[in-house]
Amino acid sequence: MTCMISSINPSIKMVAVLIPGILLGLTYDVFTPLLYLMFILVVTFTMTDIPITRWLKLFSPFLILASGFAWTTMLYANQTFSGGETLFSFWIFEVTAGSVQTGISVGLRSLCFGALSLMFILTTDSTKLMLSFMQQCKLSPKITYGILAGYRFLPIFQHELQIIRQAHRIRGVTREQGIKGRVNQFRRYAIPLLANGIRKAERVAIAMESKGFTGDPDRTHYRKMVARKRDWLFFVLMIGVLMTVFALSYHLGYLKIFGRQF
Amino acid sequence: MKRLNGRQQPVLDVRNFSFSYDEIIEQPLFNRLNFTLNQNEITLLMGASGAGKSSLALCLNGLYPEAVEGTASGDIFFQGKNIQEFERGELTKEIGIVFQDPESQFCMITVEDELAFTLENRKIPASAIRKKIMEMLKAVGMEGFERHKIHELSGGEKQKIALAAVLLLEPKILILDEPTANMDPLSSLEFIRLVEEIQNVPQMSVLIIEHQARDWFEMIDRILLIGRDGHLLADDVPKHLFTKQKRLLKREGVFLPGEFSEVPAFRESRTQTSPSAEYVLSVRGLSFSRRKQEVLKNVNMDVRCGEFVVIAGENGAGKSTLIQVMAGLLSPDAGEVFFSGRLLKKWKENELRKRMGFVFQNPEHQFITDTVYEELTFGMKRNGLSEQEMETAAGELMEQFHLKELASCNPFALSGGQKRRLSVATVLDATPDILLFDEPTFGQDAATTMELMDYIMALQSKRKAIVFVTHDMDIADAADRVVVFKEGEVAFDGIPDSLWQKEELIRRARLRLPTRLRKKEGG
Amino acid sequence: MTNQWKLKEIVLMSILGVVFGVIYLAFFLVGEGLRNVLAPFGLAPFGYEVIYGVWFIVSIMAAYILRKPGVAFTAELIAGVVEVLLGSAAGPGLLLSAAIQGAGAELVFALTGWKDYRLRILVLSGMSAAVVSFAWHLYSAGMIALAPWLIVSTLAVRIISAALISGVLGKWLSDQLAKTGVLRGYALGKELQRKRKYETA
Repeated sequence: MTCMISSINPSIKMVAVLIPGILLGLTYDVFTPLLYLMFILVVTFTMTDIPITRWLKLFSPFLILASGFAWTTMLYANQTFSGGETLFSFWIFEVTAGSVQTGISVGLRSLCFGALSLMFILTTDSTKLMLSFMQQCKLSPKITYGILAGYRFLPIFQHELQIIRQAHRIRGVTREQGIKGRVNQFRRYAIPLLANGIRKAERVAIAMESKGFTGDPDRTHYRKMVARKRDWLFFVLMIGVLMTVFALSYHLGYLKIFGRQF
Repeated sequence: MKRLNGRQQPVLDVRNFSFSYDEIIEQPLFNRLNFTLNQNEITLLMGASGAGKSSLALCLNGLYPEAVEGTASGDIFFQGKNIQEFERGELTKEIGIVFQDPESQFCMITVEDELAFTLENRKIPASAIRKKIMEMLKAVGMEGFERHKIHELSGGEKQKIALAAVLLLEPKILILDEPTANMDPLSSLEFIRLVEEIQNVPQMSVLIIEHQARDWFEMIDRILLIGRDGHLLADDVPKHLFTKQKRLLKREGVFLPGEFSEVPAFRESRTQTSPSAEYVLSVRGLSFSRRKQEVLKNVNMDVRCGEFVVIAGENGAGKSTLIQVMAGLLSPDAGEVFFSGRLLKKWKENELRKRMGFVFQNPEHQFITDTVYEELTFGMKRNGLSEQEMETAAGELMEQFHLKELASCNPFALSGGQKRRLSVATVLDATPDILLFDEPTFGQDAATTMELMDYIMALQSKRKAIVFVTHDMDIADAADRVVVFKEGEVAFDGIPDSLWQKEELIRRARLRLPTRLRKKEGG
Repeated sequence: MTNQWKLKEIVLMSILGVVFGVIYLAFFLVGEGLRNVLAPFGLAPFGYEVIYGVWFIVSIMAAYILRKPGVAFTAELIAGVVEVLLGSAAGPGLLLSAAIQGAGAELVFALTGWKDYRLRILVLSGMSAAVVSFAWHLYSAGMIALAPWLIVSTLAVRIISAALISGVLGKWLSDQLAKTGVLRGYALGKELQRKRKYETA
């Protein structure tokens, strides 16, 4: 039970996470995203087995990002969003109740995105995600296995990057300053990685075709990805709660869409 | 050797077949080839690198010329039917290929998924797949590995999985394209024995593509030799070919199996110099851990001026880590490295790099400029040489390493051998006292290896110390001293001849005897 | 559409996504300095904009190398998927922005009938991706709530970044790569060879 989200069909899970992400973009009040964020946290800590310390570590960049967004919005909100009395002002800035509200709302919204993303990423196996795209969303096998073949090289590239760093040190390549130096340095990493990567792409494609792979959608599936009732239940839960939050927020008179109060 | 059962239709019949890549108009890669492959027969295809052996394999299973937009003429018949009449993906299921590079022949993360991929391509019902996977893993000696991630396996294990995936096609012909090129000596031998075992069961035809026959020799029935000009030079039984056609083989840059070779490997070709008593590099009480795992444990080792030292041991024994620590690329957790009598960390980076060279496994990782000339002068420029001085020095290096005509070429566009030469030349731009090599012969062909060894010997005679990390026991045989690592510890440190007497140690460290002593090995 | 593509071309798009994913992580953490300076003034997001063009480089390079309809869009989408597979914390949302950006880049190539791959087209394509992606962020990141001058200047920075990083740098890097000879089997490499043949003839 604790690990239930890991077993949700990845395609359905993705849509269930994307829709709230898109719809939350409509709201500019504090109440709606805050309530939904609390719901996401409840789901995350009751229906997954992600250790809380690990989650916090991964979530903290979102906190920084969100407060950056919030601060920017507070200082620079336009007239539509910055109504209400002036709370305080400093230097050339005037911070109003309206802009504070909008700022916090925008910040909370990006925290919602972050929490939804983490919930998805930490409970989804890459191979299963791709197989589900192929089996549920009819993604062509050529693209599915093509992507997986490239993705498989990740550890190799990370290792190569490290070696290139060492090689540069041996050859006395120092960190270069200025735009030209930066660009040159960028190239010195990118070209060997890409050149090797392209050769590997060719080799692995030939190897796959040598094993009888033609990209034909008519193939058997050893790992059957299915959409069961509980997958749809999860979907209904995520979207249903969002709708409920919207309704509640409207009912209580908090809901604000693009600066307009409802 | 098996007996061929009478006359029968060949599985594969190649008639007047030529192939060329589009760009190379002057000369086809192979030219009017005629040969057959027969059921239950093991054929070895030999030829120097660049002779297009790997391309031939892909022509046989029908992927070339289409995949590279090359041009081909002549006919190939599979079981009497012209291969052009096969549907896409049909012939590739009859002719399976295991490729040389273990890194780039998989598309899935786990062993189980990779093997399932082959079976799904064959449209085997999902319910039958698991059983087939388990049986195959047992057959290749990889039972219990189904959940393992492929990228975490060793080179030898990866190739066994590659073999398993191809065998699941249940092919009529199995092609092995230099499958052991990237393995440690013992893994390589194990793989070859595995192939022998497997071939005995189904009635497959096996084609092995190799530039050296050494370990395959006992099981092969027939040898095909392709020359540099793309013609088929010989189609013969091994004993006959190796005794009667020696000169031909040598001209084509093909390695002879030990017992037929008059000039044994590198050992005889070097001039013994008396090592001096002076240490150029010393390592004391070195320990190093990576992700809480001890990679090096209390290592002590010395390198004398002008000495040639080989570091050997299985993958993961800590060899590469050690020379990275020696070069100051990694900092040890404990212990010290002394270079020319001074603590390594007391050296100024710039000074140190001038006096210590490091050559990486993949030459491309070292390249940082657009042309061969700039590559050679990069370090000189930093050391403040004048335009004139650089030109002279670079000219000398290009002369010495046969790179003269390539001065304005892009380093990445060179051939494998040229890249290797350039990577060695670039570390000689100053006057190093010691050169460290991290598996420089890994995945290189015989000719390149020979050539590199010639340069090494020449450098050593100029009193430069050479440290080599390598799996090649023939190279170890030519060293002044061999240091064997086992699980991060020095298990042996002494002259090669005394190592070869320690059978138990050789087995434990997954090494082998050099070719010249191998007859006694009994295998 | 995908049937005209070779498997090796699809793997190439995927690998471009992986390589730039790795390089991005290694390099652009350095750019944080700028962001920290701007942060007290509430201009931290501006810091991201300066290097925003990196997000479109895969799209432009793939289109320039492979030269087929749909490549710019698909390559960007694949890069997005790869980013998700790599466990990027930005997660599924990246897929949406990738699709939108890819469509923006593809638009310009489509207008030329997928025949023109000169520098100006690549730069325009990057700029188009920047504009379209910006429209999406006006909505999704709530940037619409900001003062008009800030919106306009952010957009300007993003467009310039896209033109320089994805257009100019993307083309340059692809040309450098073609010189190494590894692109022989792709449209860009073939063009280079034709040119050389012509020059020597």
